[in-house]
Amino acid sequence: MLVARYTLRAHRAAWLLGAGEDADDVVQEAFVKAFRSLPKFRAGEPFAPWLLSIVANETKNLLRSRHRRTALALRLSALEPDATAPDTPFDEAAASERRARLLAAVNALPERERQALVCRYFLDLSEAETAQVLRWPLGSVKSRTSRALGRLRGLIVTEDQGRVFHG
Amino acid sequence: MAESSDPRYGPQWRDALVSELRALSPWLDVPSAAEQATAVRQRLETQRLETQRRQEVRPPLIARWRGRILYPRWRAALIVVLTIVALAVAIPQSRAVIAHVLRLHGVELRQAPGPSPAPHPSLPGEQRMPLEQARKRVAFPVLVPAKLGLPDAVTVSDGGRVATLIYDRTPYGQVRLDEFDGHLDPVYFEKFVHLGNVTEVRLNGTKGLWVTGPQEIVYVRSDGMVVQASARLTTGSTLIWGAPRVVLRLEGGFSKAAALAIAASAR
Repeated sequence: MLVARYTLRAHRAAWLLGAGEDADDVVQEAFVKAFRSLPKFRAGEPFAPWLLSIVANETKNLLRSRHRRTALALRLSALEPDATAPDTPFDEAAASERRARLLAAVNALPERERQALVCRYFLDLSEAETAQVLRWPLGSVKSRTSRALGRLRGLIVTEDQGRVFHG
Repeated sequence: MAESSDPRYGPQWRDALVSELRALSPWLDVPSAAEQATAVRQRLETQRLETQRRQEVRPPLIARWRGRILYPRWRAALIVVLTIVALAVAIPQSRAVIAHVLRLHGVELRQAPGPSPAPHPSLPGEQRMPLEQARKRVAFPVLVPAKLGLPDAVTVSDGGRVATLIYDRTPYGQVRLDEFDGHLDPVYFEKFVHLGNVTEVRLNGTKGLWVTGPQEIVYVRSDGMVVQASARLTTGSTLIWGAPRVVLRLEGGFSKAAALAIAASAR
């Protein structure tokens, strides 16, 4: 039951942290390790961040073993997520372009800053949970998130100015 | 375009950027995950047998201390402790029967403090519409309890994953009936309860759960993410049961007998 409950979340974390096609293997390995070390798990502690920290660590080991310096670039889905309010085609085209540019900027961030954003905003973890998952001090989560947001803004602003001048 | 009205350029740029990133999250391309329960169970089982075999060859130090008579009992106790820890992680102080029923019905009960309710709790993408339109928007049959008659409002949420019937004035106060296809995804709702308040009931020959409330409840998206904006306190007790191709969650200020009668009248 525990496995069924957390598979999707663990897989999303592995994929977004860069495990790519190996995300399923990472998830399976993480579950086995989690169950093996259950006695170390403190009762009453939330299970998800603990499991995700094992997922994040497995992903890191995988990338290291593959000599991949950075995780794979994140992509936008070709499918529309459900439950979006119907937009006019023009708004939708503009919104879609804006999303693509934001994601390209996220992909251009240094690895650790990107990891901070993935955990905070794409996996919906709190600062404390992100610290646990990535095994960083809380201060590093705060500073890297803040630096990432600043850099993102810089990337977007530069690109917008480029568009104004040349477009 | 660099418009001055763009919130990304105003003093609130940080908040604007964060909400834009959060809105980007559901658009990310994440392939579907492989089912893991069977493989994980198999690997753990193989591992357990191997450990057992190794122990038979060379008994651990502690077994030598305690003597051979105590050893088998000690090992049994360890296995029991591990099982209890495993269950406690899933649902503190759970019973196997409840774990089984809950997975079947797409509702996970936890004995833990729940999240604080959102200021205006709602399900993701909640849209109000007439009953007939709602029936077309979801892939499961929408049942209406004859005992309550037609609802005062109907909503469909999360792109047709959940339909909700709302009755504003009934002898039991406001009554809410959430319907979803619990066979598709393992979890739709998490409820935070004292398990002493949970009893198993039988309805049309299938298992159901009666939970005396109020309790905190929160919606879980198909990717397993909890939707904090949906966290709320239930208005009363809840009955959860399954019908062919649909799972129902009835909530209101009724007794168990009244809830069962309403459930039995759902067509």
